[in-house]
Amino acid sequence: MTETITQLAGLLEPVLGGVLATAGSAGSPAAAGAAGAGAGPAAGPMWAALIPGLPILGSVLCLLYAVLGIKNKLPAITTVALLAASFVLTAVLFVNHNGQPQVVHLFNWFDLAWGTGKGEHLLAGFAYYIDNLTLLWMLFVTGLAALIALYSSEYMSHDVGLGYCRFFGAFNLFVFSMSCLVMGDNLLLMFLGWEGVGLCSYLLIGYFYTKPAAVAAAKKAFIVNRIGDLGLVLGVMLTFVVFGTVEYAKLFPMMAAGLDGAGRPVADWVTWVIPALLTVGAFGKSAQLFFYVWLPDAMEGPTPVSALIHAATMVTAGVFLIARLYPLYTLDPDLRVLTFVAWSGAITAFWAATIEMAIFDIKRVMGYSTISQLGFMFAGLGLLSPVGAAFHTFTHAFFKATLFLGVGAVMHGFGGQLDLRRLSGVAWMRGFGLVGVAMLIGSINLSGVPFTAGFFSKDMILAQGFTTPNSMIGGASWVAWLLLITAGMTAYYTFRTYFRVYAGPKEFVPGDDAELLDLGRHPKGVSLDEWHKQHGHGHGHGHGHGDHGHGGGHGHGDGHGHGTDFKSSGRVDFDPTTEEFDPHPPGFAMKAAIAACMVLAVLAAGLYFVKAPSLAGSEHGGWVGSMVHNSSAALHVEGLGDAGKAVEFRGASHTTQSFLGLDPHAVMYYVSAGVGLLGILIAAYLHGPKGWQGLFIGSRTVAATSRADGLANLFGPLTTAARNKYYVDEIYNFVIRVPLLVLGHVFHLIDKLLVDGLVNAFGRAPRAAGNAARVGQSGVLNGYAVGMAAGIALLVVLAFMAMN
Amino acid sequence: MSMDVLMTLGQGPLPAEMGPVTLYHYLFVSAAMFCIGLIGFLTRRNLIIMFLCTELMFQAAGVALVAFSRFHLNHTGETFVIFVLTVAAAEAALALALVVLLFRRKETLDGTSWTELKG
Amino acid sequence: MLLSLILIPLIAAALVPLSPKRLVRPLALVGTLIPLGLVVWLLGAYSWTKPGGVPTDLAMTVGALPDLGIALSLNIDGLSMSLVALTALLGPICVVGSYSAITARVRTYYGWLLVLQAAMTGVFLARDAVLFYVFFEFTLVPMFVLIALFGSTNRRAAAIKFFLYTFVGSVIALAGIVYVAWFNATVLKGGLTFNIAALVQAGQQMPASTQGWVLLALMLGFAVKVPLFPLHTWLPLAHTEAPTAGSVVLAGVLLKLGTYAIYVLAIPMCPQAAEHYAPFVATLAIIGCIYGGLICWVQTDVKKLVAYSSVAHLGFCMLGMFAFNAAGLQGSILYMINHGLSTGALFLCIGMMYERYHTRNMSEIGGLAKRMPIWATFMVFFTMASVGLPGTNGFISEFLCVMGAFQAGDQLGSFPGNTGGNLGPWYAAVAGTGMIIAAIYLLYMLGKVVFGPLKEPHGHGGHGDHADHGGGHGHEAGHGAHGHDGHAGGLPADLTGREIGVLVPLAALCLGLGLYPKPLMDMVQPAVDKQIATIERVREGKSPKAPPAKPLPAGATSAQAEPADVGAGAGAEMSMTTTTEAGL
Repeated sequence: MTETITQLAGLLEPVLGGVLATAGSAGSPAAAGAAGAGAGPAAGPMWAALIPGLPILGSVLCLLYAVLGIKNKLPAITTVALLAASFVLTAVLFVNHNGQPQVVHLFNWFDLAWGTGKGEHLLAGFAYYIDNLTLLWMLFVTGLAALIALYSSEYMSHDVGLGYCRFFGAFNLFVFSMSCLVMGDNLLLMFLGWEGVGLCSYLLIGYFYTKPAAVAAAKKAFIVNRIGDLGLVLGVMLTFVVFGTVEYAKLFPMMAAGLDGAGRPVADWVTWVIPALLTVGAFGKSAQLFFYVWLPDAMEGPTPVSALIHAATMVTAGVFLIARLYPLYTLDPDLRVLTFVAWSGAITAFWAATIEMAIFDIKRVMGYSTISQLGFMFAGLGLLSPVGAAFHTFTHAFFKATLFLGVGAVMHGFGGQLDLRRLSGVAWMRGFGLVGVAMLIGSINLSGVPFTAGFFSKDMILAQGFTTPNSMIGGASWVAWLLLITAGMTAYYTFRTYFRVYAGPKEFVPGDDAELLDLGRHPKGVSLDEWHKQHGHGHGHGHGHGDHGHGGGHGHGDGHGHGTDFKSSGRVDFDPTTEEFDPHPPGFAMKAAIAACMVLAVLAAGLYFVKAPSLAGSEHGGWVGSMVHNSSAALHVEGLGDAGKAVEFRGASHTTQSFLGLDPHAVMYYVSAGVGLLGILIAAYLHGPKGWQGLFIGSRTVAATSRADGLANLFGPLTTAARNKYYVDEIYNFVIRVPLLVLGHVFHLIDKLLVDGLVNAFGRAPRAAGNAARVGQSGVLNGYAVGMAAGIALLVVLAFMAMN
Repeated sequence: MSMDVLMTLGQGPLPAEMGPVTLYHYLFVSAAMFCIGLIGFLTRRNLIIMFLCTELMFQAAGVALVAFSRFHLNHTGETFVIFVLTVAAAEAALALALVVLLFRRKETLDGTSWTELKG
Repeated sequence: MLLSLILIPLIAAALVPLSPKRLVRPLALVGTLIPLGLVVWLLGAYSWTKPGGVPTDLAMTVGALPDLGIALSLNIDGLSMSLVALTALLGPICVVGSYSAITARVRTYYGWLLVLQAAMTGVFLARDAVLFYVFFEFTLVPMFVLIALFGSTNRRAAAIKFFLYTFVGSVIALAGIVYVAWFNATVLKGGLTFNIAALVQAGQQMPASTQGWVLLALMLGFAVKVPLFPLHTWLPLAHTEAPTAGSVVLAGVLLKLGTYAIYVLAIPMCPQAAEHYAPFVATLAIIGCIYGGLICWVQTDVKKLVAYSSVAHLGFCMLGMFAFNAAGLQGSILYMINHGLSTGALFLCIGMMYERYHTRNMSEIGGLAKRMPIWATFMVFFTMASVGLPGTNGFISEFLCVMGAFQAGDQLGSFPGNTGGNLGPWYAAVAGTGMIIAAIYLLYMLGKVVFGPLKEPHGHGGHGDHADHGGGHGHEAGHGAHGHDGHAGGLPADLTGREIGVLVPLAALCLGLGLYPKPLMDMVQPAVDKQIATIERVREGKSPKAPPAKPLPAGATSAQAEPADVGAGAGAEMSMTTTTEAGL
């Protein structure tokens, strides 16, 4: 594999060289685009269309199952099989790929010509653009999707039936949309995927649609994304207007050469306006800066959804977009938008990390952690390290999925309990050992413990940040410092969760999710196994609804002690006086998926050492580097990766920075490792349990309290503010939503009173005139006669006057 | 023909002291009748009287027509008057029947008590 | 052939009052299915994409009143065909969709529904302005009856307002048409004719300021129908009060009469004025998008919400139409079709809900997905089509409309994709916020009605959630029977096969046109090209210098002098006076 790529990179050399020559020494040509400049990209194998095709087939099948009323795990089996097949196809495609971009064209979606000239034909097909960046993304999207589908087959099993079909239908649709987003060969198909994943996100966040919070979260996610999408769609339009096409294969050569569709140099304002508009879209989807508010709320969705969509894949779409259109972003000699991206990424990373340190909901911690890590990726893109960003996306996908799946197992097992003050020592409970290990693996990755995948990928971004000249990306070293601090905070909050929940004395309070509670609840004095045997239901088969409003007619309702309950919400409070709760350990499917994710997260570290030696540039990229370098996301600037070198970019010369006088790429391994370990030690001291599990510096003995409580009080209002997410939701509500709603009411009033009032006034005018004339219509015969006589007299007089 | 002869309508000689009866005289009578009828129609409330007043106006018109007919020495006007009289007779029968019906409704002949057409 | 499209529903309408009650529905169905069959045949039998796009052998003239210049001529092109197809499709859907909703006075109902169908088809087929106008106005009568007799509580007021408002508007439009005919007959000496093609020719030779007045008259008339802000207030009322099928036809086709009329009459007759006033119309359209959208958000009546959404949506349609470029015009025509499909379907869905719960108040109902999963699926799908999600038809048209506006201006400098015009990116950007607002109010509706905790009006509670019961209950039979109690009309909790059958074709089309719009786009391409050519002629030199296509009668010197004068740039001053003198 590596050899193949090496050979191909060799093949590409002449082409690359040629482009470099034409674009000047500062050029950052996309190898892909350049290669396709001549005769257009080669046609790929048609079966590649099956990669998105199989998931959409799965979606249709799930719809069919719903129609047929299938009440078993068939939807899950279908989904796992199809997604696995999709992954295998991607892998085959990857192995056979020759490094050159290929296009698989199915049919034209938009095909509108109004002339024969350039820019007079809007053409966007269902066509797939396959290059290394596509493959990189598709490998982890389809792979993780298959694994998480497997996990979901068990996780969602309490909803077998219609809900199951709905879940897997949307799940498949999501993978299809994500494939279109990543593989689309034009901006419009990308946009189809972009909005499609938004729809699936909406449907899946709102999966528990009877919960108002879930519905609100789903709506919020869609609308916030839609705001970003407006920027994206305007960016796409401007791209079309300027370049006259939306197809990557035609766009990349133009961008590489810095020419617009008419063959002139791209106007200065275009070089930052288009990226800025696209960045709005990317920020919306990837929850950056002030668009992040939807992502924590999205944790209302089922945990597998959070793992796949809101951690591993969909939220990285923004990273993908910028990486895909990197030639466009680097068109600007001043790199204005990338500077903005770098800063906003770092600020988002830091901002989210402060919130994470304060909140107690472990799933939300993971949600904010995703925002924070996405901030790292964006900062990586902004700091001119697309390789680092892509690598971090890749590793993050695996370890964050592992973490989420672990959290999901806890949630599933403890009746939906997510408060880290009510759980302790979970790793030591029966059946949760694997979860504990997986969480540890995920946590050390996220914290950046040396020799983990997360360590290498984060390190790459940090090192590049300290290297990138401040004259290219304004304040690059400041951004890097901010990221370094955030890395320490990341280690702290990650292990805070780990030490609180997974290590220490065994202790728990079950949550309040009725369906999940039923998995482990049983009356006092009867063991869970006996209870299940006695009542003949294996876990989770539709017995979640204890109350259907038919108290009397219930076959098994009485045993629950609430048989005459007429509530219809499906939620039942756990009654500790009569009931006991046994944690419900994950079953085979969940364990298999967790284990696989865990192994992949570990293996991802190895990719750092698989090197492709003959790469252009000196960036330390490993396997991901070799992938990115042969795609549109490549940035070829000689010497950018080394400290103290002079680099040329778009005709201006810059000097790379160093880290306190040292080569960042050499020392960052130690610095970031040190920062990460420091964070872990602080976490151990503040939250660690007594004994070895707390690295002998912890003192915690119960779940609810720790040394950190005093510290939290020390910060007082700041902690409260962070726990309440700095009231950003409230501010948005007050600044945006309420005014709009008021405006809506005002408009409605105007519509009713003014606009419709005017119409009614027009309608009333004849009536008013009629009323005025009514006076004459007395109904008395003589009155009419007088009128008639008077009229005749008047006519006569007038006639006389006319005659004279 | 002199103007005097033209203006003379009578066939035989007329008493000299009274002067000739000219078209104006007839028309004056007609107009007087019409005005009496009109004023009566406008001022009276009794339906029968009002009806009689309309008849009076009818006849006034008839007088004028006959006078013109004689004046132009043709029979158009007279023919027309005969038609009018016929119609008036039919109409009188109808109108009186209506009056009777109206009277039965409200036990009064006061025309102002009927104001159904009030707008 | 074309005449039969109009006559068959009319014949059925005539037979309906005479037939026994049980035959009324089959008869109405047959009366709408035959035209649908004919339309399908027409679509297959002719090539709609060839240049010109008009199958010549279909043109027909039924009769003529030569003295008045009126000929009852019918013809069809790609644009008409697409709209006739929409009308024909919605016909049977409305008939079948009303089976359970209308149980009293069925003869009246189906009779008028068929008449409405015929009149709407007639508008799209008419090639004579008077015939067009007659059909255009005649749609009012059946619609009036449908609203006034079969509507909800406030139906009388709604019907009267609908009738008077749109009637007054179209009378003004008629004045405009008659003026152009008079101009043609007297100034251009073109003879008295109401042939639309001839009137368009004549209209283009009017001086600019006259065109402005004529455009104003035509727009006043047709924009009421569209409806363009601020002439929209009849619409929410009529929509809300109309019976379901009435709303479907109203949203699906009647509004399109307005846009169609603007497309084939107002703009081609007054291209110079249309080009000049495009920013003004576009501004009104954008105001409609945002203003209508925000009003949607504060509605409590779900049907009213969807009704106001038509105001917002048709704003996009008008924006695209006045962009005068391929993307905008295509988008606008596609919008006519797509809005008919998706909003029509939404009205059907809401009607189905109303039949079960007898309320449309969003504070009284909620979480119906629990009770009606199939219905909820359709509801979500059509809402997404309405939001303009890529992959559904709504996206194609909305994107093209906004894109058209974006391209139609070169404020940013000249680029390959610019098409010239008076709009530009700013219009697109502001209209784009309408897309966000659309998401806000439509998802608000979904969140209230479809999702959330189950909430039903009194008298509907008490039965278990059969939508979602697991196994092991052991009392499903009793349960099921129990569940059907509260519903009037013997309708089950979720949709019946008939109702699903009504929605499935619409859903299939929404998806089909969303993924492969090319056939439709090719079909209307000739109409788009024609419109662009008209506007291009105006833009080049700002004068209709091009010789009239129709040779003018010899001796019409004053007529030929006319355009030349306008060309000299004196258009504004000479305006009416010269025209009037020539006319007298």
